[in-house]
Amino acid sequence: MKKIIAVLLVVFMAAAVFSSCSKKSTGISVCLASEPDTIDPALNSAVDGATLIAHLFQGLSKWAQDANGKLVIVADAAKELVAPVENSDGTVTYTYTLRDGLKWSDGKDVKASDFVYAWNRAASFDLGADYGYMFEVVKGYDAMVEAKDSGEKDKDGEPIYVAANPDAKLDAVADDAAKTITVTLSSPVSYWNELLAFPTYFPVREDVVKNEAWATEAATYVCNGPYTIAKWNHDSVIVLEKNANFVDADQIKMDVINFYLSDDANNMLANFKNGSWQLIDDVPTNEINTLKKDYPNEFVIAGQIGTYYVCWNINEEILPAGKITGDKVADEKARQEIRSAIGLLFDRNYIVEEIGQAGQVPASSFVAMGMTDADGTEFYKNANKAAGNSYAGYYNVDASAMESNVAAAKAVLDKYYAKGDDGKYTDFPTLEYLYNTSEGHKAIGEYLAAALDKLGIKMNLTNQEWNTFLNTRKNGDYTIARNGWVADYNDPICFLDMWTTGSGNNDVQFGKGASADLKMYNLDLTAYGYDVNVENGTWAETYDVLISKIKGCTDNTKRMQMMHVAEDMLMATGCIVPLYYYTDIYMIDDSVSGFFSNPLGYKYFMYCTIK
Amino acid sequence: MNTKTVGYIIKRILLAVLTIWVVITVTFFVMHAVPGGPFNSEKAITPAAKQALEAKYGLNKPLMEQYVTYLKGIITEFDFGPSLKLRGRQVTDIVFDGMKTSATLGLAAALIALIFGVFLGAAAALNRNRFADRVIMVLTTAFVSMPSFIMGTLLLFLLSVRFMIFPANGATAGGLVLPIITLSLSPMSHITRLTRSSMLDVLDQDYIRTAKAKGVSKWKIIFGHALKNSLIPVITYFGPMLAYIVTGSLVIEQIFAVPGIGRSFVKCIINRDYPLIMGTTIILSILIVVMNLVSDILYKVVDPRINFE
Repeated sequence: MKKIIAVLLVVFMAAAVFSSCSKKSTGISVCLASEPDTIDPALNSAVDGATLIAHLFQGLSKWAQDANGKLVIVADAAKELVAPVENSDGTVTYTYTLRDGLKWSDGKDVKASDFVYAWNRAASFDLGADYGYMFEVVKGYDAMVEAKDSGEKDKDGEPIYVAANPDAKLDAVADDAAKTITVTLSSPVSYWNELLAFPTYFPVREDVVKNEAWATEAATYVCNGPYTIAKWNHDSVIVLEKNANFVDADQIKMDVINFYLSDDANNMLANFKNGSWQLIDDVPTNEINTLKKDYPNEFVIAGQIGTYYVCWNINEEILPAGKITGDKVADEKARQEIRSAIGLLFDRNYIVEEIGQAGQVPASSFVAMGMTDADGTEFYKNANKAAGNSYAGYYNVDASAMESNVAAAKAVLDKYYAKGDDGKYTDFPTLEYLYNTSEGHKAIGEYLAAALDKLGIKMNLTNQEWNTFLNTRKNGDYTIARNGWVADYNDPICFLDMWTTGSGNNDVQFGKGASADLKMYNLDLTAYGYDVNVENGTWAETYDVLISKIKGCTDNTKRMQMMHVAEDMLMATGCIVPLYYYTDIYMIDDSVSGFFSNPLGYKYFMYCTIK
Repeated sequence: MNTKTVGYIIKRILLAVLTIWVVITVTFFVMHAVPGGPFNSEKAITPAAKQALEAKYGLNKPLMEQYVTYLKGIITEFDFGPSLKLRGRQVTDIVFDGMKTSATLGLAAALIALIFGVFLGAAAALNRNRFADRVIMVLTTAFVSMPSFIMGTLLLFLLSVRFMIFPANGATAGGLVLPIITLSLSPMSHITRLTRSSMLDVLDQDYIRTAKAKGVSKWKIIFGHALKNSLIPVITYFGPMLAYIVTGSLVIEQIFAVPGIGRSFVKCIINRDYPLIMGTTIILSILIVVMNLVSDILYKVVDPRINFE
């Protein structure tokens, strides 16, 4: 017995010593999420993957902090971020010169053609990258992704598409001898420098990526950034070490970064509390209030460009039987009014304070807080300005306005629905609220249902597992659903072009199904110098046209104004009910200095030091 | 080994192959019947690009044709194909990576459960109704009835946040200590109770009394006669338990961030990563079927009276 106890003690002590050793590794240990789906710059579309890639690669530009700590985009692999040269056909051309001494992590030179190769690869039809469309501003992209019917049918009898122009390339030319890259955009783009700092625009080398598995192991991962992958234990940890071949290696302060791979918020918190990890990107929702109190300096709420909202299916009938006139346009106008009224019934302050609890901001517009307008002010503060209201946005989200909002909503609903003796509506069809399984989404759904129930409107909650949910929502098999959108770059267009008729993200089904021939939308762009004035057109004839005009517009002021027009159109349908603007919460140990994150949620550790 | 035994074993192996085929077939068709797909994401790619991807991985072919191609792939080359979500990685690599950790964890836990379980069970039986017996019984009852997520969370809080003895992170070697303890407590308690009751049963048998009367030493009686015979129910329990424990536990892997197969299994189902779902299911079912078979055969070795009829 004594022997056994002795042996046990030894094992216990050895384990304890071992575990305390592992804590003292040099460098910083952080946990953002579980194993990334990919860290191939072209294929990645996740924020955690982008953070890793930002440490491993060097693009033409990058996010950095200026002397005052303000985030700016500066030249990185390029000598400078040049101004565009306008061509006679309205296109613009940029010519970048690469800096001297750029090397890949295996010691070979970084060439201008590596960038051009990477861009063509990322944009190609065959790769099918989530973010391939990031290149749509570059001339030649449209031809690259154009699809044609191959004549064959798949298992569901749908035609199989293939690339219409398999040899098409982006209008980008590399001169390796002169180290220049010349790229032509269809029109000037205000966020072009930011795009160059986006992982999809980072260079890769043809001989490296020929191996399809190149981005899955440390040994085959060749990069050109501040770090290289020293060790990659799948599902467990990715260790980055300073890249000796990196041109600015002397500026990189942190030697080693351990990215632990876990998505369990409770486990992250345990590792943060015992000092193993210095930054965690998630915390358990039910702990937020305690953490705010216990870790006032370490619990951080950062801005994030995104909106949590609820969307209606435009094709679902919500009018009571007696009020359907049969005139499609008149009926839809009534539904627009009703949906907008319902949107006024929700107390966004209650949602963010009592349910969200993470510093979210009540939303009164769809384009999120954090987007910049033409004059440098916040885009969302200028939303619906023409209406001349005392508040910003499409309705007043101030807590004091709640009563008048409900009264206004009731005034509208009274026109359409019958009321019982208790003042509740009796013939509002029962609604079905669809959300993906999660405690937070459920709590919000329950609040929305309770708010509607006060007026006699019944809303049942249905939850679906994530992947099924995406399918159901996309196919429009719902009445009202939970939704959310986070920006890919700082330009309102990424909140607006998703609602064109053919977009894969058009969950509302604008211009699809029964509403395809709904001729009721107006668009007048003559004030902006376009020969477009449509009255009572379909969604495709108005909104789709507006988006394509915005994309082709070279005047940033006009472009921003037209984006406000697009948001006005969108919000007038009542189909989109913004609830709050997202925030990014994380915890960072107070021994760490030099850390920053960008509005897209990428986190930068290379300039960190630990006290 | 007589012909009856050999015949039995062959029959069981054939049955095992049939079981695995049924598992493959059912999983394949149910998996495809569930709505959603591997290329769904919040930010949708264009329908044409999605189709191109489906064509690349053969997902646009009729389901029956995909099924036949898949079966052929596994039988002729043991090829499970590439993962659809973790692009560039092979299913076999992912499954074996996860299996390595889960199996290490499971084997260690099973071994601890067995050694401590038998030891404590025997100790309890030999001290029947005395203080040690009572303590062991109370503790084992608690461990059996406490769900692993509570046990795990409790250990995590106490030993890695409050007292910081072990790391909370299963990615390090020291981080496996807590999950192993959590995983082993419940089966250990089962084994303790099984050993105790069957040992008490055996100690009352005539041959033990005879041995005592003959003057055989106490320890020889316990180890030579009593313990060996009281292990039959333990073996019955141990086989399936081992299969269960080495195939990964989602709950424990999640709590301690262990890179095991349980976590990756759930994730690949959410992602509709069809080849990975199939690969994981097949390898896990092979393991379970084989381990059940082995434990059945072990009965015979331990107790020759058992007849394979």
